[in-house]
Amino acid sequence: MENETDGVVLGDGEPPFQLPKTMPELRRYLQGALEIEHFTIPPYLTAMYTIRAGTNEVAYYTIRGIVVEEMLHMTLVANLLNAVGGRPRVAHPDFVRGYPTKLPYSALDEKIPLQHFSPDAMRTFLLIERPERVDGIPIQRIPGWTSIGQFYDFIRTGLLELVDRLGENTVFCGNSERQVGPEDFYNSGGEVLRVTDLRSALLALRVVIDQGEGLNGSIFDGDDQLFGEQRQVAHYFRFKEILAECAYDPHDTPHAPPTGPEIDVRWEDAYRIDPDASVADYARCSDTAVYKHAVAFNEAYAELLAYLDTAFNGTPRAVIFGVPAMLRLRDLAERLYRNPHPDPDKASQGYFASATFEIDQQQINHALDIVSPRIQVARLNTEEPVNFTGVALW
Amino acid sequence: MASAVNATIAHRRHYDVIIVGAGIAGSLIAKGLGQQGWQVLVLEAGTGSLQTWEGHLHAIDTFRSAVAKTPNAAFPHNVAVPSPDVLDLTPTRSGFTTNGYFIQRGELPYSSDYLRAVGGSGMHWTGLCLRMHPDDFAVRTRYGYGRDWPIGYRDLEPYYVAAEREIGVSGDAQEQWELGIPSDPDYFYPMHKIPPSYIDEVCRGIDGRTVTDPVANEKFTLKVISTPQGRNSTPDPRYRHGAGYRPQGAVGLPKYGQRCVGNASCVPFCPAQAKWTPLRAQAQFSRSVTLATHCLVTRVIGGVNGRIKGVEYRTYEDPASAASQPYQAEADIVVATAHAIENARLLLASGLANVSGELGCNLMDHPTILTWALSPPGNGPIGPFRGPGTTSGWEAFRFGDARRTRAPFRIEIGNWGWGWATGAPMSNVGTALGVGGDQKGNIVPTAVFGARLRQTLGDQIGRQLQLQLAVEQPADHNNRVTIDNQYRDVMGNPRPILTYNLTDYVKDGLVAARCVASAIYDLLKAQEHTDHSPRDGVAPLGYFRYRDHDYAYKGAGHGAGTHVMGTNPKDSVVDSFQRCWDHPNLYAAGCGSLPSIGTSNPSLTMAALALRSAEQIHRDLVELHRPVQLRGGRETLSKVGNGE
Repeated sequence: MENETDGVVLGDGEPPFQLPKTMPELRRYLQGALEIEHFTIPPYLTAMYTIRAGTNEVAYYTIRGIVVEEMLHMTLVANLLNAVGGRPRVAHPDFVRGYPTKLPYSALDEKIPLQHFSPDAMRTFLLIERPERVDGIPIQRIPGWTSIGQFYDFIRTGLLELVDRLGENTVFCGNSERQVGPEDFYNSGGEVLRVTDLRSALLALRVVIDQGEGLNGSIFDGDDQLFGEQRQVAHYFRFKEILAECAYDPHDTPHAPPTGPEIDVRWEDAYRIDPDASVADYARCSDTAVYKHAVAFNEAYAELLAYLDTAFNGTPRAVIFGVPAMLRLRDLAERLYRNPHPDPDKASQGYFASATFEIDQQQINHALDIVSPRIQVARLNTEEPVNFTGVALW
Repeated sequence: MASAVNATIAHRRHYDVIIVGAGIAGSLIAKGLGQQGWQVLVLEAGTGSLQTWEGHLHAIDTFRSAVAKTPNAAFPHNVAVPSPDVLDLTPTRSGFTTNGYFIQRGELPYSSDYLRAVGGSGMHWTGLCLRMHPDDFAVRTRYGYGRDWPIGYRDLEPYYVAAEREIGVSGDAQEQWELGIPSDPDYFYPMHKIPPSYIDEVCRGIDGRTVTDPVANEKFTLKVISTPQGRNSTPDPRYRHGAGYRPQGAVGLPKYGQRCVGNASCVPFCPAQAKWTPLRAQAQFSRSVTLATHCLVTRVIGGVNGRIKGVEYRTYEDPASAASQPYQAEADIVVATAHAIENARLLLASGLANVSGELGCNLMDHPTILTWALSPPGNGPIGPFRGPGTTSGWEAFRFGDARRTRAPFRIEIGNWGWGWATGAPMSNVGTALGVGGDQKGNIVPTAVFGARLRQTLGDQIGRQLQLQLAVEQPADHNNRVTIDNQYRDVMGNPRPILTYNLTDYVKDGLVAARCVASAIYDLLKAQEHTDHSPRDGVAPLGYFRYRDHDYAYKGAGHGAGTHVMGTNPKDSVVDSFQRCWDHPNLYAAGCGSLPSIGTSNPSLTMAALALRSAEQIHRDLVELHRPVQLRGGRETLSKVGNGE
C-alpha cells in the first residue's frame, strides 16, 4: 500500500479536499506541497529574467528574494516528508508542470502562464500567494481548495491528528541523516531546520506559511520573531508593492493598499515574451541559435532538479550544488532573453526569446547520469564547506 | 540600526563619548559603548550612501565602469573630503611625482591609500584576518629591530577571539596553531575556512620541498597554509563549544547577503556582501549611538588640566563643493579613529598629544614586492580570477632567527592572476588586440581577433600566477606625517605631508622575498616574467636599485604607527589602552597605535585593540560618573559619633 504512493509525483492529481488520515496520505500531501512550492519558481524566475539588466532594481531584488524563499520552503517540505518516512521526488518530468496551467489547489479556473515582468505577471503572483483571509472571510462557498495556506492548514491538522493517534515516534519515523541542515542554505530569510519531531515540524510549517502570506493577519512575515532577522513584508504584500509602485508604510494593514514611498518601477524595461513559446516552436525557426540556448537552459534546469533529488534522498549536502546550478541558469538566461523571438512574426510583435521550462524524461535521465559522478568527486562526507575544486560543474 | 543624522542635530550637545571616524575601530568601539548604554556620537567626515542598498548598487556600477580597478574605484569622489588614491602617484625619470591629497617628501613613495566614507577603509579591505605572532610583540628584545609592545600576545588573545566573533572569521584554527600562534586547543573559528583555490592546490604540489633564502642564508620548508578571512563561509557547529554561529547578511536589504561565491572583486568591494564591513557593526548600534555623516572633525578642543573638552567639526552639504559650516560638540571622552595618517593630522592640527615628540612619527606599511609567472602550459589552466584575492600563503618566512638579518615577509598566493602587477586581464586584451598601435602609431601586424583572440587570452590569462610578498617595516622615527599650513585642502584643513623611505633592513627583506619567489617558480616549473627594471628611462613606481639589482615595491594599504603605544610617556603617544599619555580623556585608536606590525594584515589586530579600548573607556566613564562619598559610609558616621 505504502509503496504505491511513496516517491510518486502527483502532477495534476491533486489530493481530495479533506484531511490526510493515514501516513501514506500525509506523505502524498507533502509531496503535493513540494510540487506547489516548486510550481511558483518558473513563473517568478521568468519575471526576474525578463527585467532588463540595470533596471527595476527594487523589483528584481524583491522577486529574487522571494524565489530564494520558495527554495527554502521546498527544502523545509522535503525535510518534513523525509521526517515522516517519505521519499521526496523531484527529478521527474511531471514535477515541472507545463505552463500555462491551472493554479494548483484552487477551485478557481485561473491559468498560470509564464509572463514577462508586467502588471499582469504581478496579478498572477498575487493570485498564487493569496492569503487565506486577506479580504476578511475565506471563500468557503466554492467546494475545494481556495488557497495554498488552506492546503497547509490541512497538512498541519492532519499531522497533529496522526501524532495524537499513532504517537510522535511512529509518525516521525524517518532517518534523520536524510535531513538537510542549515549549513549550506543561505542568502534568504529564515533558515533550513532539521525536522525530527512535532515541534520542529510545526516550526517548519510556520516558516513556510508566514513567509508567503504574512503573520497573524499582518503584512509582515515572522522571520524577525523566529530568526532574529530584520522585519520584512510577506510575499503576497511584496508583490502588491510592485504592482502598486508603492511600498507599505509600517502602519499599513492587509486590507488597504500600500501608502508608503513610491517605488521606481518601469514596466517598459522588460523583454516581452510569448507565454506559449515552446522549444518545438523554436526548432521550426530557420535560425536555430535560440533553440539551442533554450534547450541548454532546460537541460541545466533538469540538472538542478537532479541535484535537489539527490540532496533530498540521502545526500543532504548535495544541496550546495544548487548554488552554482542557479548561477549557471542566470547566465544561460542572460544569453537567451535578450534575443528577439526567432519567429519573424513574433519578433515583429515585440516578443523576445524565453526559457520554456519543458523537461522530458530523457533530459532527467541524462541529468541524473552526469550529476552523480560530480557529487561523488566533491567528497560531501565532511562538515566542511564543499570545495568545487576539480569538480567539472558543466 | 545606524541611521545617519546631520550636523545640526549633533551640534552643541553633550555626549558621553565622541568618536571621530566610522571605520573598523570607530564602529566597533561605538557598538560596544552603545551596548553599555552610553550616549555616543560618531562623526564621519565622508558620505553615508554606502549604508543604503541603492548606494551599494551604485558602488557596483561605479566599480564596473572604472578603468583602473583600484581600492577606491567603487566609491564616489568627494571634493570636500578627499581620499588619497594609489593613482595620485606617477613615476618620472627622476623618481615620482604626486598630485593628490598627500604631499610626499620622502625619497621613496608611500603608495597606499585609505577611504574617507562611512565604513572607512573597512569598505575596501581584503578581509584577511591573521593574528600577530607572539614574537611580533617583542621585536626589539628578541631580534634587535623596531619597537616592542607594552603588552604581549596573551594580553590580546581574548580580544582576538572577540574580534573574530564580531567579524565572523572563516578559518582553520589548527593550521594557525601549527604556525605557533597559540589559542585554546578547543578553539574553532566561527566558520570553516573558505575553500582554497585551485591555484592553492597547484602550489600544494611542492609542499615539503625546501628553498634557500640567500640573504639570511637559511633553508625553509614550504607548506601552503590557508588564510583566515572575514567573509562568510559555512558556519562551524563546533564554534563556542557547540553553540555554533549564525552568519550575518547584507546591510541595506533584508535577508540578502551571501556567502563568498568567488566574485573576485573583494578589493574594492564584495557585491554579494559576503565580506565583513563596519556597516554590519553599525547596523547593530544601540539607540544611544548617533552616527552623523558629512561631519569633518577639524580640531579636538583642549580644556583645563590637560582634559579634552570636545571637538570642532565642519559640515558640508555637497561633496562637490567645499562650502561648509563649523559646529562644536562636547564629550567626557573623545576617541580619534580616523586612520593612522588622519589621526596624526588631526592631533597635530589640534596641537595636542605630542609631549613625546613622537606624534606622526613611525609611519609604517607592508612594502610589498610583486612577482609574476606563467604556469607550465602542459598542465592546463590554473584558474586565476576566481575566489577571494588570496586564500592561502607560505608562512615560514615570517618567523625565526632570520629576522635578525633581514625583515620577515609573508608570501600571499594571489588568486587574481597578474591583476595587481600588470593590470591583467584588461592589459592582456589590449596587448592581444594591439590597442594603440606600435610606437609610431602604426597598426600592430601581430594583433589577433575573434577565435584567435579568445584562444590567446585563454592560454595566457588562464596560466597567470602572482605572488604578493609583504615585508615587515619596523617603526622608524624618520618615516612620518607632518603638517604645514602652506598645504591645505579645499576646506582649509592641513593636508598630510609624508616622509617615507625604506631602510636596508627592509630592502634586504624585499631582496630575500624576490629570490625565494623565483626559487618557488622553479619548483613549480613556472616561467617567471617579473620585471622591475626601468623602461625608456622611466622606472616603475616604488623602484629602487639595491646591490646591483632592480626592485620595485607597492603599498599594501596598511598605514600604521603614527601614534605608537608604549610604556613611557616620553617616547610614545598612547598607553596600551590607546589612551593619550598627555590627555586622560583622549584616545587615539586604530593602526596608528601599533608599535610594530609583524607580517599580519593589521585590521584584525586593530579590531582586537578597539574592543579592548572599548572596555577601558567604559571603565573610565563609570569612574567619571561615580558619586563622591561626601559623608562617608555608615561605619564612618558611627565612628564620628563615638568621638574617635
